[in-house]
Formats: sequence, structure tokens, C-alpha cells
Amino acid sequence: MANPDTILSLDNVVSGYGKMTILNGTSAHIRRGKITTVIGPNGAGKSTLFKTVFGLLAVRTGKIEFGGRDTTNWSPRQMLDAGMCYVPQGRNIFPELSVRHNLELGGVALADPSGLPARIESMMQRFPMLSEKANAQASTLSGGQQKLLEVARGLLLEPRLMLIDEPSIGLSPLMVQEVFGILKGLRDNGVTILLIEQNAKMALQMSDYGLVLEQGQTRIEDTAPNILADPRIAELFLGGGLKPAITA
Amino acid sequence: MTDFVQLVIAGLATGAIYALAAVGFTLLWQTSQTINFAQGEFVMLPAFFALAGMKFLGLPFPVAALAAILLSMLTLGVLFKTVIVDPLHKQGTLPLVISTIGLAILLREGVKEFYSAEAQRFPSFFPDINLGTAANRGGSGFNVSADQIGVLIVATATILLLAWFLSSTKTGRQMQATAQNPTVARILGVNVERMVMYTFLINGALAAMASLLISPIYLAKFSSGETLGLVAFVAAIVGGFNQVRGAIAGGFLIGIADNLVAAYVSSTYRQAVPLAFLVLIILVRPQGLLGRAEERAV
Repeated sequence: MANPDTILSLDNVVSGYGKMTILNGTSAHIRRGKITTVIGPNGAGKSTLFKTVFGLLAVRTGKIEFGGRDTTNWSPRQMLDAGMCYVPQGRNIFPELSVRHNLELGGVALADPSGLPARIESMMQRFPMLSEKANAQASTLSGGQQKLLEVARGLLLEPRLMLIDEPSIGLSPLMVQEVFGILKGLRDNGVTILLIEQNAKMALQMSDYGLVLEQGQTRIEDTAPNILADPRIAELFLGGGLKPAITA
Repeated sequence: MTDFVQLVIAGLATGAIYALAAVGFTLLWQTSQTINFAQGEFVMLPAFFALAGMKFLGLPFPVAALAAILLSMLTLGVLFKTVIVDPLHKQGTLPLVISTIGLAILLREGVKEFYSAEAQRFPSFFPDINLGTAANRGGSGFNVSADQIGVLIVATATILLLAWFLSSTKTGRQMQATAQNPTVARILGVNVERMVMYTFLINGALAAMASLLISPIYLAKFSSGETLGLVAFVAAIVGGFNQVRGAIAGGFLIGIADNLVAAYVSSTYRQAVPLAFLVLIILVRPQGLLGRAEERAV
């Protein structure tokens, strides 16, 4: 990609499950070191977008570039090695393993495993809750603590880009603020965040950019304030859909 | 009282063997959603590998036993996975279940056809001596054989070794991660396919251990897998289908119960014990003694 500000780009990507096509020629340009929130109605292909970028779903046609390299149809392991991590929707801990061992599994893809203990320690300093609960079974954590553990586990490889899908689901408002605060802190340290949020307004308020998906295609790509001010967004979320004439 | 203690010790010995089979059964389910209804035949077959090695190749027993374990890992592990499980897995759980039932019949009839329909005596690793008090030896007093104690020790040590491997090594924890949430394991970079293969290898080895330990007690027979498979299945369910430690508890419980029932009620009812447990558990505690309820997304 010519633009050096772009860390991740999709060019006419088509993918889906079995005979179902979800991403229907999606194109997007994600800015380096910024928070971009992906919004769109249910079934627009937001989660599918993440799974396709991370190599969990095959790209049928089109091209994905990450960090200047063509990563189309790379495996999740290759994406990890390239500097991307993915925190999916819902509960993603290993319930019967301890908090420490959950964290340790974030380092599976580490090229040099000897650095793992130090990384685990520094992550525990960053999130003292993990240190307090290090030996507890992960299933005993609250929903918010589990989400923090997932984020910390994803950060263990020091990724350049984090895909995070609906982190606020099932969390208390206070916890949502904490998770969002962590994401902002990561952004300030140069990590690119690509976020999916059902609570679009709240997410856009803390984002730099927004990406509006509808029926597997990008409808709007703009700065977050512009999207928040866009009258078409309200219409989209009220279920009306974008009028074709307006999309340019 | 001495009777009771003897029966419990005998029950622990058979229970430990059941636990080996049940743990393998549970591991396969956890990591690959394979419900292996041929598990009993997997425990029947390795004894015949060893017998064939001694009979046709003239191998000494310890060598034949080791060869049987390795051959089991290859056939019941690698071959089972690549030839049956992998191609059928895409078709869903039911076709795979039915295929394992078919495999059970094939193994049973194969052994009957190509080896023998007769029950075979099988050598034991342990000396045939009675560890009971001298005064009671041979009488109605305290009888515990070295065989029972040996079986109990070897089977328990195998289970402890496996538990240690799963919880205390990085590979073991990657296997647990694969069992608990394969998608997330893959997202973190765990080589899920390799972990599943390890599970199949371990199941082959556990089945072979169980086979070498149980055959000296109950003889090696082509049909012995029917009972063993049922026991492994029920032990896994009783303990909680998704828990290795549940399968261990279930195995011991059934081992002790069927020895006690055979002595105090009637040996005719011995085979009914696992089924009675199954009905009871499903009625009272469907997630099993140690299991957790599984949520299933639709």
C-alpha cells in the first residue's frame, strides 16, 4: 500500500462460511497507531472481517496486506508472527487452567521461549489483578477480569495490531470504561486497535476512525467525529440501510 | 471385614485399569469430539499384539509387551486418526460414532478369525504370590495377591504420570487448552492438529497399558472389549464426560462396585453395575460427579 499511514488494508475481499458469502468485496484501510471502530448492523460481516484478516476463514478472492506484506490466506500462527493478535467475542479463557497458565499460553508463538517468564512478570505488573489471582483457576474470575486476562494474553507477544471483538459485552459500565482505557493506553504506545462494538456511539467517541460495514461491504470510512456527526449513521442503525444514491 | 478389604483392593486394581481406558476415552472426546465406541476393543487388541509377537516371532514377553504398546500407538493412535477420524470428522459426530461401532465389530471378528475364538492365558509382569498373612494363606482369611498390588501401582503410576504431563509441561497445557477451547488455542498459535495427534497417541498407549494389565486377570479374549468398552464409557459419564479426573474417579468407583456386587449380591449382576450407575447418574446428576455443565451454542 502506497500510504505509509496504512498498517492493514483489504482490497475487494470476499469470504464466508460454506456456501454463504459474508464479506462481499470489502475494502478498507486501517491507520497505523490509531483506534478504528468497525460498526454496522447485525450480519454486516464485522466478526467475519476479523476472522478473515486473522486467517481463520479463507479469502476467496481479493487481497489483504498487513505491515506492507501480502498476508492473504496466512495462517493464524503466521499472523501472530507478523505482529497481529485477535481477542474474539465472548469468553475466551481456558476455564480449568490457572490465570498464570492462561497467560503463558499467549506466548506459545514466541520465537524465543526463554523470554516468556519475564514477559509474564511484566504483564502481571501492568495488571496487578492478574498477579493477585495468578494461581486461581481462570473460571473463578469475573467477566471483566476474564476480559482483562484475554487482553493481557494477547499483548504478551507485543503485537503491532490488536483485533478486539465486542470487548464490552456482558461487562459492567465501570469495567467497560477500564477496558476502553486500556485500549487507549495501547494506542498511545503505538499499538493499532481495530475494534468491533455494538455500542457504536460510545466506541466512536474514543476512536480516531470509524468503518461502517453493511452487507459485507464498506459503506463509510472516515474519522470518528465525522461518522458520529453523519446523519446517515442514525438511519443505518435504525435499520433503514443506506440509500444507494447517498453512497459515493 | 477382611473380606471387604480384600474386595476393595481387588476393586481398586480393576478400577485402576478401567480408569486408564476411561481417561483415554475422555481425552479423545475433549480434544477431537470423538466418541470412541471401539475403546473396549482398543483395550482387547494390544494383548493379542503381544501374544502374536511371542507366538509367531518368538519374542520374550517384556519385548513383546513393549512392541504391543508401540504398535498400539501406531495403529490405535495414528492409523485410527488418519484413516477413520479425520475423513469422517467433517461429516459430524454421528457418522463417526457409527464408524467406531463398525470398527469395534471389525477388530472383534478380526481377532476371532485370525487368532483364536478361545480365551488366551496371558503372562503377568508380577510374581504369583499371596501377600496375605501366613496363617490365613489359602484359607478364608486375608488374601491379597502381588498381582493385584502390582496392577494397582502400575496403573496408578501411569495415570499420575499422565496427570503430571498434562498439568506440568507446556505441551500438556497446550493439550488442555486444545481440549478446553480449540478455537482460542489456534488463535494463540497452538498447533492444534499436533495436540490432537498427541491425544490419539496417548490413548493408544493407555489402551495398551490397560490391555497388558487386565489380560492376566480376565484372560485375553476377542469379545472382552464389549464389557470393557461399556465400562470405559460409563466411567467417563459417571465422572463427568469432560473431566479427566472424573473419568479416573468413575473407573475406580465401577471397579470397586462390581467386585462388591459380585461378592455380596451375585456375580450374575456384575455386568449390570455400570448400567445401574449410568441410569442413576443421568437421573440425578447428568453432568457427572465432577463434570461441569456444558453450554452449547446453536
